[in-house]
Amino acid sequence: MKKREKREYIRSVLSIFAKSPFRPLHVHATKGGDAVRKLSEELSAYFACDTSTVLQLNKEIDILEHEADVIKQTIRAELSSTIMLPVHADDLLNFLKPQDSISDECQDVAYWLTLRSCQVPKELEEGLRELMSRTLATVEMYELLVDTLGELLESSFGKKDVNETLKLVIKVEEMEHQVDIIEKQVMKQIFEKEELLGGGGVYFFLELTKSIGRIADHTESAADRLRSMVLRR
Amino acid sequence: MDIFNPFVIALIAAALYMAWNIGANDLANAMGTSVGSGALSLKQVILIAAVFEFCGAVFFGERVASTIANNIVPIEHIKVIDSHLVVVGMLAAILAAGFWVTLTTFYNLPVSTTHSIVGAVLGFGLVAAYHGIIPYNDIHWYVLFKIAASWLVSPLLGALIAYLLFMMVSYFILQRTDNIFAIEKKFIVFQTMTACFMAFAHGSNDVANAIGPLYAGLNVLGMNGVQVPTWIMVVGGFGMVLGLATWGYKVIQTIGSKITELTPTRGFCAEFATASVVLLHSYSSLPISTTHTLVGSVIGVGLAGGLAAVDLSVIGKIAVSWIITVPVAALTSALIFTGFMGIGI
Repeated sequence: MKKREKREYIRSVLSIFAKSPFRPLHVHATKGGDAVRKLSEELSAYFACDTSTVLQLNKEIDILEHEADVIKQTIRAELSSTIMLPVHADDLLNFLKPQDSISDECQDVAYWLTLRSCQVPKELEEGLRELMSRTLATVEMYELLVDTLGELLESSFGKKDVNETLKLVIKVEEMEHQVDIIEKQVMKQIFEKEELLGGGGVYFFLELTKSIGRIADHTESAADRLRSMVLRR
Repeated sequence: MDIFNPFVIALIAAALYMAWNIGANDLANAMGTSVGSGALSLKQVILIAAVFEFCGAVFFGERVASTIANNIVPIEHIKVIDSHLVVVGMLAAILAAGFWVTLTTFYNLPVSTTHSIVGAVLGFGLVAAYHGIIPYNDIHWYVLFKIAASWLVSPLLGALIAYLLFMMVSYFILQRTDNIFAIEKKFIVFQTMTACFMAFAHGSNDVANAIGPLYAGLNVLGMNGVQVPTWIMVVGGFGMVLGLATWGYKVIQTIGSKITELTPTRGFCAEFATASVVLLHSYSSLPISTTHTLVGSVIGVGLAGGLAAVDLSVIGKIAVSWIITVPVAALTSALIFTGFMGIGI
């Protein structure tokens, strides 16, 4: 039986104040960052052939991805057409999408690592570690970028704060560019080891490399759209 | 005047009930923003609201009160013909408005006590005209038109002032500082002042909703003079403060706990704009809704980019409550009045 809603003797204009989507957006970005941090640990465990840790971290990343999805859905569901934001709602949703892809892509890589036993040539391991750490650094710079949104709102998009934010966007873009360079090098190394790795091995590592690279791509894309959101308001 | 006259007692009781409602909900809405921004504690807000609301009602409430008492329906004309009609009519008007406000409060509809009482008084006038006691032309349609126009203008004016004010605060202060936290802290002082201003303005305009008809009724029962006597304003002020103390604090708490977006700078702009508009209307003898003006002001701050999220759907609800309230209150008032006369009261 449905419980009857208790009626309070209150007549207020509370409903004029809608829930801010910016706080959940920030939490959502942190979920992506957490997923990438865990993925970095999982990759290390993979190199150390610590299968149980790989499986454990894969599970944890699954949970983080799901939590991020729920936050994303809530933000979308609460942004009805009557809500007025200091930025365009379309821009906000456009930037939420690539931000959500960060944890999605993480989930794919995390699962991919559970699929194949750990035989990694030393040279490849170094390249992949470098790729992962730079990707993680890009994502963490992105988290700092999202942090500045709070200050932007408080000063109602003051010039100084906007410039601060734009500087961080450029930093994220530069770091993503570095990831691209390393990604290309690692791919080259993979084909140099073609005979050692075999067809399956080449495919596995190529996919792994590209996937990690895509995490940085999504991060860059999110940063780019965040810039549009801030500038187009 | 005989204090033990049942009509005097009934009128005062009904007016007190109306005043209680205004204090419990409208005043609480007006003050809730100060608690929400963290500028003031609940106790401080209640103390400020009680003192300044009372002062506003007693020292500056007379203009709007006489509009409701004399300038919508020509009470003086009806009094000459049959003074008893005025007493019963005013009692019916307060009861009708009180009933409508009570009903809508249970359904959390953004209905204005001001709109209710204006509609209810009009309802009495229409019945009087229907029975040929006064010609329809004697109802002050021009004043009613001015009042209705002010209901449209006041939220818009609130929005405009709040918009400009926040733009200035933002341009000259927020965007030039490195420490926004310190600025917000400084604005707590300003917001404390605007909270006083707000309570005073609210008292000056909304006390009329309770004591306008009371005055009209008592005037007929043997009180002389065109001026509203101070003790009647005191009754209104007392009723509103009572409403705040016995129920309004809960409403303030609810509002304050949910409005966290409204920092002192934003709260200051919204409140200052609202209070200015309301006091301006009190000066012009026009009864307006403080709550609707506050909604306009909050939207103004939002338009200036000061709020993270504003839900505009409340505008539609207000528009609907607006259109419904006046006819419903008028009809209820007319029915109660006709009923009273029918059973020979």
